[in-house]
Amino acid sequence: MNSEKVVFAFFIVLALTLNFGFFIGNFDIPEHHNAYELFAAIVVSLIATVLKFGDRTHIGAVFLATSLVADLQLVAAAIVWGMVENVFDGVLTGSSLATVVSLSGGALLANLTSVILLVAETITVRR
Amino acid sequence: MPNLIYIILRRLRSPLIFLILVYAISMTGFVLIPGIDDQGQVHDMSFFHAFYFVSFMGTTIGFGEIPYAFTDAQRYWTLLSLYATVIAWLYAIGSILGAFQDPAFRQQLKRNAFTRKVGSIREPFYLVCGYGDTGSQLVRSLEKEGILAVIIDNDQDRINELEISDFVVQPLWICADASHSEVLEYAGIKHPWCTGIISLASDDTVNLTVAIVAQLLNPRVRLISRAETPEAEANILSFGANEVINPFEIFASHLALALHSPSLSILFDWMTAAPGDRIKEPVFPNHGKWIICGFGKFGEALYHHLSGGGEELSIIDVNRNKRNVPAGTVIGRATEAATLKKAGIESAVGIIAGTENDADNLSILMTANEINANMFRVARQNEDHNQHVFQAAELDLLMQRGRVVSNKIFALIRTPLLGDFLRIISRFNNDRASVLVSRVIGVIDHETLELWEVRLFPDKAPAIYNMLDEHQILVEDLLRDPVNRCKSVPAVPLFLKRGKGNVILPESNRILHKGDRILMCGTLEARQHMNTITHSINALGYALTGKYIPDGYIWRWIQSKRKVK
Repeated sequence: MNSEKVVFAFFIVLALTLNFGFFIGNFDIPEHHNAYELFAAIVVSLIATVLKFGDRTHIGAVFLATSLVADLQLVAAAIVWGMVENVFDGVLTGSSLATVVSLSGGALLANLTSVILLVAETITVRR
Repeated sequence: MPNLIYIILRRLRSPLIFLILVYAISMTGFVLIPGIDDQGQVHDMSFFHAFYFVSFMGTTIGFGEIPYAFTDAQRYWTLLSLYATVIAWLYAIGSILGAFQDPAFRQQLKRNAFTRKVGSIREPFYLVCGYGDTGSQLVRSLEKEGILAVIIDNDQDRINELEISDFVVQPLWICADASHSEVLEYAGIKHPWCTGIISLASDDTVNLTVAIVAQLLNPRVRLISRAETPEAEANILSFGANEVINPFEIFASHLALALHSPSLSILFDWMTAAPGDRIKEPVFPNHGKWIICGFGKFGEALYHHLSGGGEELSIIDVNRNKRNVPAGTVIGRATEAATLKKAGIESAVGIIAGTENDADNLSILMTANEINANMFRVARQNEDHNQHVFQAAELDLLMQRGRVVSNKIFALIRTPLLGDFLRIISRFNNDRASVLVSRVIGVIDHETLELWEVRLFPDKAPAIYNMLDEHQILVEDLLRDPVNRCKSVPAVPLFLKRGKGNVILPESNRILHKGDRILMCGTLEARQHMNTITHSINALGYALTGKYIPDGYIWRWIQSKRKVK
């Protein structure tokens, strides 16, 4: 058993699950989308990205790319949320909430790709 | 370049994860701990404010407690996270700085810079493998001539020496093993401007490897290599080397030449002198009995050449188990008077101290001088830094391996025709050589001898090349003074090469053709004058016809109209 692989797989899958947890629910109901969950998703996604730094393999490069996409989407969602609540002094409802959730939905796809890659990589290693 | 980024990223992995975790925990803490706003109401910090606060706290900027003054519970948490974030930042910055200090990283950085610089070279350059005594002298000579050198050496001390020396034409260098093909590759062996590769390793196998690799990677490039045994010489030549320089052979043949053909040896001396070297007084050793101390590679080469010339030789060597020593060799220490006497020093005309130890060589000659002061004394100097001692000993002839090799190579680089020329005249007898010497003496002032090539190619001699279409040009026209065409500049055309044909001392009324290459020798002034003639159509026109050729198109057009009238 390779502890590096365990840690990496843990973070990749955790990023997906947290992301999914935030995303799931009605688009226009703020109670379905928890800020803590988004925060945790961002942190885990960032860590997953850093874990792939310096990997020279081809699959490592793709991992890095998908993680970066997820980071970008989640951070964008967080920025939108923060702007609406603090800068425009509004409450997160309707269209702004839809933006945040759909951005996290994009990140969900990227995270899903990461997990698919992870599964594919695991299957090719016959040990 | 990508390698560098990978090295940094890999080193940043753990500090970055640590930083992210510390930030995440601190921020979560601030969001969870309830605060009190200015109206005394409970206020929960948002993620936005938490991130803002942690960011300026962690970087020790500290704008204060926002958005409202903190409660004591929040201050406890601030204390904790303050130290944690500062430590995380220090760790991250320390790791980045550490990555930059890392020897592997710096090596990679230097290599990238070197590769980039080599790639941007837009002038002919030579690849010099090995920066020892020979290499450094050669690079100096090349620099004086304005030729760029790219140096490979795997000794860091020598590279350090390079870094602190001053050059007008700054050479490029890299600390690497030249016998690795990838090193040669990124040092520019396939570069379109790479004119030649010079392999100067003291180890023959390295030179051989370089020769093989060079031949495989770029057969077009000119290869000059050093070798210390005749076997290695033949081997390297078989791998397509253009010139192989064996310092012992060169010196031994030189000495033999000085014995049986003094004129020729003078010519050789002059033509392979380093740039700016003054013309030395010729030495004239006598025929008779010679003593060779030390029968190594040098002694063997001497024995081979001098015995071929019919000299009586007596060998001294300390090693009694050595094979292939000639019969009659005296076994013993040449530094002792008894051994020297046994070898017949009283009746000898010359002694050659050719061991591999400088102190021994000097000691041999001192002892010999006490017994027989009228001998011709030759020493082999092994280490460059002993130069002053050997100079003080006032010897008749000094064999400096590095100098012999670097001078020869430099002469070959500066004037590629010289190799052919020297090969041809080495078969001359003394009388023919004397004629050559007297011709050369006629044109030089007793300072230095310049050698240069006139190449009738469109880029090397544009004026002459274009003029050849309409005008016949003779060898003597090249020698005309661009100020007064009736006078000729002090230079001698030594050698003319046209295709495969060679002409030694071409006559003054020989007609020049496009593509001819002529080896000239003379003074520096003559070289400059000839440069004017070959490059300026006006000067050439004057030299050929005595008339002035107009500069611009309009005047030329007017003149052609006049001619028609």
